[in-house]
Amino acid sequence: MAERVSPPFEPIEPVLELDDIQGAVVPGFLKQYQTLAGINCGDSFDQAKDLRRFVGIVSKLVTPSREALNDRRAFKALKLAGKRGEKPPVAFFGIGFSYTGLLKLTPSARSIPSEAFRLGLKERSSLLGDPVDSAEKGNPANWIVGGKSGDLDALVLIAGDTPECVAEGTSKIQAAIKKTNLTQSYIEVGSVRSDLPGHEHFGFDDGISQPGIRGRATSGSADFITDRHVDPKQTPEYWLFGYPGQTLIWPGEFVFGYPSSSPDPLRPGPTASITPDWTRNGSFLVFRRLRQDVSLFWQTMRQEAKRLSALDGFKTITEVELASKLVGRWPSGAPVNRTPEKDDTDLGKCSLANNYFRFDSDTLPLPLKKGKDEFLMATADPVGTTCPWAAHIRKVNTRDSGSDMGTQDSTYKRRLLRVGIPFGKPLADPYAKPEDDPEEGNRGLLFLSIQSSIEDQFEFLCSRWANDPTRPKNPGGHDFIIGQNGAPDEYRQRTCTLFGTEYKSEQLQTTAQWVIPTGGGYFLLPSLSALQNVLAASEDEGK
Amino acid sequence: MPPLYERFDPPAYLADFGRVPGLLNQWSEAMSSWFEMTLKAEEQTYRDHKVQPAVQYFDPVKSGPKGPTLPQAITWNAFPKELLRTYSRDQALQEADRLHPLLSYRPKWEVPDGTVISYNRLQYRPQNEYCEWHVFRDPLTSKIKKVAFVSEPPEYYFALFGGVCEKYTFKGDPKVVLDLYREHVSPDVELKDLISPYDLPDFDIHKGFYNPYNKWNTSRGIMHLCSPPNTLTAEIRLGGDASVVRKSADGRLLVEPDALISAAAYGGPDRNSDPTIGGTVNALARLGAMITLQNPVGLYMDHIDLAGWAAPDGGPVTDLVRIVRGQPGMIERLEVEVPPERGFSLSDVTIAGVPIRYGGQIAECITVKLTGVAVLTKETSVPIGPDARGIIDPADARSFLNRAVDLKNPLPLGTVEALVGQGEGAQAPTPPAAKTKATIPNTAAATVPVTKSLRRRIWPSV
Repeated sequence: MAERVSPPFEPIEPVLELDDIQGAVVPGFLKQYQTLAGINCGDSFDQAKDLRRFVGIVSKLVTPSREALNDRRAFKALKLAGKRGEKPPVAFFGIGFSYTGLLKLTPSARSIPSEAFRLGLKERSSLLGDPVDSAEKGNPANWIVGGKSGDLDALVLIAGDTPECVAEGTSKIQAAIKKTNLTQSYIEVGSVRSDLPGHEHFGFDDGISQPGIRGRATSGSADFITDRHVDPKQTPEYWLFGYPGQTLIWPGEFVFGYPSSSPDPLRPGPTASITPDWTRNGSFLVFRRLRQDVSLFWQTMRQEAKRLSALDGFKTITEVELASKLVGRWPSGAPVNRTPEKDDTDLGKCSLANNYFRFDSDTLPLPLKKGKDEFLMATADPVGTTCPWAAHIRKVNTRDSGSDMGTQDSTYKRRLLRVGIPFGKPLADPYAKPEDDPEEGNRGLLFLSIQSSIEDQFEFLCSRWANDPTRPKNPGGHDFIIGQNGAPDEYRQRTCTLFGTEYKSEQLQTTAQWVIPTGGGYFLLPSLSALQNVLAASEDEGK
Repeated sequence: MPPLYERFDPPAYLADFGRVPGLLNQWSEAMSSWFEMTLKAEEQTYRDHKVQPAVQYFDPVKSGPKGPTLPQAITWNAFPKELLRTYSRDQALQEADRLHPLLSYRPKWEVPDGTVISYNRLQYRPQNEYCEWHVFRDPLTSKIKKVAFVSEPPEYYFALFGGVCEKYTFKGDPKVVLDLYREHVSPDVELKDLISPYDLPDFDIHKGFYNPYNKWNTSRGIMHLCSPPNTLTAEIRLGGDASVVRKSADGRLLVEPDALISAAAYGGPDRNSDPTIGGTVNALARLGAMITLQNPVGLYMDHIDLAGWAAPDGGPVTDLVRIVRGQPGMIERLEVEVPPERGFSLSDVTIAGVPIRYGGQIAECITVKLTGVAVLTKETSVPIGPDARGIIDPADARSFLNRAVDLKNPLPLGTVEALVGQGEGAQAPTPPAAKTKATIPNTAAATVPVTKSLRRRIWPSV
């Protein structure tokens, strides 16, 4: 029988309704400055009317996806032309509602098919491994937002290129709050690190592994929302990646009403039913305020590196190498699978290379549209001898490996669009004692993620992969960066397996908590049409 | 090199074989015979592709290759992914707790003449992730009293009872099986209840011998795995099949679990377990490892994750869970039940704020495990071409459609081939490597039609 070779075919990606979807969802604001404003109203009928009037005002400010996408394209074009600073600063707005808030606006909120959304983050926090003892930091009783004071009704996102334009945008929201007699129950200003833009507070470049959303902005055959960088002649890789290694995910994993993943990444899967219909073009937003104890993290790394360096196989390990193995990337963002021995800042900066690697098999060079990836390629590391299975980037994105949930689309169905931003000032000396920290430890991440299922994406990643020592694969351990161990009687101890040279391995363990949840909530970001036609009232209504 | 192990011990070192003289040795012999069958099948696979057999799988009681040895625990979630792909989660939870007629598992046209009625009378659980459960409800309130989970393979009970199992004849003792049923399922079990009145040779069921689909292991309780794909011999075979390095029809090295399971047609592609077992084994084979399974070879529940569980009295939840057979990390039977003195039912317990309504909610918290062993010899075999292809329905591509289709057979009407052209690019130039390692030769032999040399106990499902 002759060999049978079928040609791969080009996937047909849907045109997304970018004038209806919020820009906070697609493509995400990803601005340097972002303020979150939490809003509450009372339970009475009249107070619910106030909230509807507020929605009426804010819905006119909310940035549609098309505007956010055009802004990003303009930014990239100017950057390419060497005119990065010439784009006028803009402020973008987004708004989401918790279940309690949404219920004040429409009774149909009851039919939203998500137990997690209806129960809210506080009720689900024990599943995420948060402490159940109210005396412990991290327990909802001690949160500064969304804890014992109750869920926020609404969360407004104000993002922009400068602190000034964000402040101006925030003033507009605060004026609307005042005008409609609502309560601003939370406000927090986030910004990228001034000393290390793009890095989170432990010092690692963040957000490199962001997936790309499939879909087109117009009916133009190549007007993709996510830019493509692989040579179009190199198929099917051209159809699989935005940047090399940036997996393209069908939009139904992030926005309601579009095809989701199927077992074949080039074929659209089914479109989930939309309940209620006005949620089409909407999405779920998870907000989790995570405080980062930077000095505790680095002191632990230093102690552990010192302990390990006395063991065979780990003689030369430093705290930066140890921390990088636990992240899966060096501080510059360079993946340890591509540069196992030391950081490579050029690789970290190169978006054509810094996300292109496989775990289970050798990575081969890809022909690109423009530019070159001339860095050493990653070699197969299925056991995790180079990048441990407990490494953060490996825990939450198994790439080419299977997982405890089976084949690759099981990984695609877990992906998140991360749109968060750090808060607090950086700690100048990462080993500083608490008394030498002028901010008293108040720094971390305003984690924000976009997904179409809170249960199958955000909660799954936290509870089933990051927090479980045996999943997605072994020899593993807890995610040492963001993982929590909420298992009863295990006293929050996290463990993981690390390999040195000659397959020598060692268990790490700690009860130190350097990522502490301090609040948040689950929100639904409705479409612009839903905001205007279903949830809002005119400014005059109810006066 | 001496063999890796002196003998195969019973799963989880369970002690029951000690009650039957000679059974410990028989078990080890049987395991070796099952490895031998697999090794012959893999050799035949290479021969079918006109390639010198270089099987990277071995019987650890017969040999011990030289090289660094790495145990590799392979874990997966206990709740059937096939159901989640077919139904909404709520529907899947309901379906998982139901029994299905065996005839719905095996297409009627594949059932031997004269056995249709027998198939129709037998039922199985659609829980095909090597972990099955039975929900015991209060008949008056329908509240859940207990959920019993098992990962014990049926082969263990065939051995204990005595009779033929996968071509090996055990001299067991039915009384030992009866005692176990009476201890763990019900004191009302009678020996006659466990004996098959039917001949279903495809399932190793013979009139007058042990019937794994007996009522105490299906409708009225649970003693061991009985869903047709959930066998230890299937796992041994899957490990062997997955150790074969494959390339696609157009010469790309197959590296992704989906592509591999489609090309080699081992196991069910829509499961949590089979693709990840196969993908893990194959990744080690590509590294140049000889592969086997760790003694004691078994399918185990590794642990249950109780994070997010809450009891209505605010008390602890750890005492709701009891390992009844096996040990931590090698759990064969796990029972979830509220101690009577606490005065509430399992239905009053919540997971992340949601009351337990189905056994499947607990299964979602259970991790199942098989442990392989890789000996890194740095010698890899020549990749061979595909024997099969994965298929999907393009109009509703929520899942693969059952098993991959043999290349010599046409695609079923309305389906298309999945993953066409995907795999690691064979045409790309050789890259500079970040570190040295064994390289895989890229020579190819012509693909020839495949004949299945061994019956596999993994068939299309639900």
